[in-house]
Amino acid sequence: MTNLEVVMRSNHELPSDVLKHLISILGNRVSTKDVDLLSYSRDYWPITLHWMLKGKIPALARAIVWPKNTREVQDVVKIAYENAIPVYTYGGGSGVLGGAIPEQGGIVVDMKKMRSIKLHEENLLVEVEAGTNGYYLEKYLNKKGYTLGHFPQSLYPSTIGGWIATKATGQFSTKYGGIEDMVLGLEAVLPWGDVVTLKPHVRSATGPDLKTLFIGSEGILGIITKTWLKIWPYPEKRILLSFASETLEEALDSVNRILKRGARPAVVRIYDIVETKRHFYKFDEVYGKIATIIILEGDSKLVEAEKQIIEEEFKGKALGENLVKHWLETRFNVKEASEFAPLGVVFDTIEVSIHWSKAIKLYRSLINVMRSVKGTLFVSAHASHFYPQGVCFYFTFAGIPKGDPTEYYNEVWDVAMKTTLEVGGAISHHHGIGRQRGKWLKEDLGLAFEVLKKVKNALDEKKIMNPRNMGV
Amino acid sequence: MPRKWDWLKDEIKGLELIRSAPLIFKFISGKLNGPDDLVKCALCPNMCRHACPISIVDGKETTSPAGKARIAFFIRDGKLELNLENIEPLYMCLSCDACTQWCPFEFSVSNLTRPIKEEAVKKGITFKEFSEVFKNLKEYGYVYGEPKDEKMVRDGNILYLRGCTIREKYPEVEKKTSKVLESLGYKPFTTSEKCCGIPAYNLGNITLFKKLAKEQAEIINSSGADVVVTSCPSCAYAYRVLYPKYSIKINPKIFHITEFLEGKIKGLKTKGRVTFHDPCKLAIGLKRPELLEKLLLSIEGLEVKSPRRKGKETFCCGYGGSAISRLNAQLADEISNERLKELREEAEVIVTACPTCKLAFESNYGKTLDIAELLYDVLRG
Repeated sequence: MTNLEVVMRSNHELPSDVLKHLISILGNRVSTKDVDLLSYSRDYWPITLHWMLKGKIPALARAIVWPKNTREVQDVVKIAYENAIPVYTYGGGSGVLGGAIPEQGGIVVDMKKMRSIKLHEENLLVEVEAGTNGYYLEKYLNKKGYTLGHFPQSLYPSTIGGWIATKATGQFSTKYGGIEDMVLGLEAVLPWGDVVTLKPHVRSATGPDLKTLFIGSEGILGIITKTWLKIWPYPEKRILLSFASETLEEALDSVNRILKRGARPAVVRIYDIVETKRHFYKFDEVYGKIATIIILEGDSKLVEAEKQIIEEEFKGKALGENLVKHWLETRFNVKEASEFAPLGVVFDTIEVSIHWSKAIKLYRSLINVMRSVKGTLFVSAHASHFYPQGVCFYFTFAGIPKGDPTEYYNEVWDVAMKTTLEVGGAISHHHGIGRQRGKWLKEDLGLAFEVLKKVKNALDEKKIMNPRNMGV
Repeated sequence: MPRKWDWLKDEIKGLELIRSAPLIFKFISGKLNGPDDLVKCALCPNMCRHACPISIVDGKETTSPAGKARIAFFIRDGKLELNLENIEPLYMCLSCDACTQWCPFEFSVSNLTRPIKEEAVKKGITFKEFSEVFKNLKEYGYVYGEPKDEKMVRDGNILYLRGCTIREKYPEVEKKTSKVLESLGYKPFTTSEKCCGIPAYNLGNITLFKKLAKEQAEIINSSGADVVVTSCPSCAYAYRVLYPKYSIKINPKIFHITEFLEGKIKGLKTKGRVTFHDPCKLAIGLKRPELLEKLLLSIEGLEVKSPRRKGKETFCCGYGGSAISRLNAQLADEISNERLKELREEAEVIVTACPTCKLAFESNYGKTLDIAELLYDVLRG
């Protein structure tokens, strides 16, 4: 591999007969070329951007494969199982915690050639293969008169399988929920190569819900190949609202009351003062205050009723549609990492969730501890997802470390995770665990971590599925 | 009104000045350009992946837009060798520029990676599959080899430039385009035109592109025409967008046929149902995403069904960019079939306005009419 330094170098080699076997099944959809191995050496874990700029790549697989159907995934997994070779499943590579990095070498299985879609209109369901691109699916559904309602910021580059594997949620989650609320059934290839189908019944009382084992499993229990997702009729009406508040408490309390009354806006986002300045600097009326944007959508009579509830409950100055339109236009403009990483700025986001009762405490504690790390330029946050029971805070930090960027990065992460646990929050709301958060999962889950390990060991005796991910 | 980075200035105030901090101040004050475009693209999580036909159909990280930028960055940085294996992914690009529509910086991945291709060509590192194109363009100024003996129309008041694919594959489109123009009172004439040079440009042979462009500019400028109409949106794009970048001047006004017909087609009636495919060089390159649909909708009685991806979200036919159909014909046809499947959900008959798109679809058994063919049929009743 020419002049690139591999950070997580593995000694595992791929036996030549294994490679021949893979080629005999997949033909030219197997590669060991440098450019391919290099292209699958990372996901979108932000610290690796700094590595890349210095000519370092996180890890190298020994082969990349592109199966076209479940049968081929099975074949690949069976070969890997027989030979105890690590398997890493790859979707869009937009994960931000290193969950897809092939740190033990092995085989990367890219799912993006599996992208068939079948609509079941009568049952408001779509059957879709795991490698299907997110925006591709949403556009397909829109043309047919439906929406999935799932709009993560990674909508454009990510895949449906990736959404399920990382337990993703989207910007419109307050109405439509996270991906776990949309998955009705799924199909997965297990570590020894058999296929399990968890059928898309409307509901079933057939023991524990085993599909949830795979939602958020980040490739450690098998490969998700297909899913059945709930869909909604394309919204008849959309209403855009925004408000300026003097304090974060005031804005959070307003949303709490709205949700208690049963209104379910699709989008609610509350920005702290720094983020209000950052995102809405063009709007004088909100500069230096707390901005809240709300989108209601669905049946016109229902959204009109929700609008009335919001207007009754929101304590703050109503600002109309313009802030929301600005957000809609700019919500996928991912620019900062590209602009600032080459200038030496370490930049990342950390999302955690908390009950209403401790929301403000968590916000203030995390801002303070992350800001206290030497080298930090700023820390800011917005509340991005809301539930009757609590809220998700999405923190952004940036810093210019004097020494090693990775050390600074880990220091900020450590204080953030430690403080979240102390206050009583969940260490991840929707980005998952990956490699970055692995060491904190045990503390968050308690005894449940041992349960997870036992499940992993029972399903994956040879530990071939994304080994070391999530710290299990 | 506060400015874009005022919030950051507020936050940084009072912080200890450390390494790179002065750079940040300069950057947010607009006194520093920051990283170059290739680096910015390489650092992106592929926010245009969904729009890239290669990415959707090929499905590989290696040929994804940011994936290509990363490879180009590593080659430029000396971390990866400049060899055929490493540059092949850079040629897996249709040059449709769909990526530009979704990029906050409006980058064209095709443009960002072209310098690496140019360097490779200069060093003689080129695929054997390209040598015939280069030879044909050098010897005949024509991608298809020695041109057939062509009958020219010497007199007229507008110059009709057909483009290589119309000349070689679709002489009937040439005739029908002329008839449509004549029905509007124009007298088109033709000349011994050359290739606009786009195939050489796409493949990174800039020396050859510039040679062809200069020769073609001379032919056009000496024709005496004030107005030029072409059936090929890539040619129109070359004359209007690329030539000026290389200081090559074309004197007459250049129109793609759809642009020339805009507002001139009136009172036409027909029956039937069609769908349409917006050529990327018309919708994105020439920035006329709505034009083909608008022309079709002006025909009374014609049922026009919109495809899922149209206008600026159009999906390349698979034969664009000059490289993929030569290096990986199977992938080109897969992309074509992906698009055809979507179009066929709307109507049996597809209308487009690019000879390459017509060729791509017809090579994959998709019934496709050039807009001029449709108009000719409607005019004849």
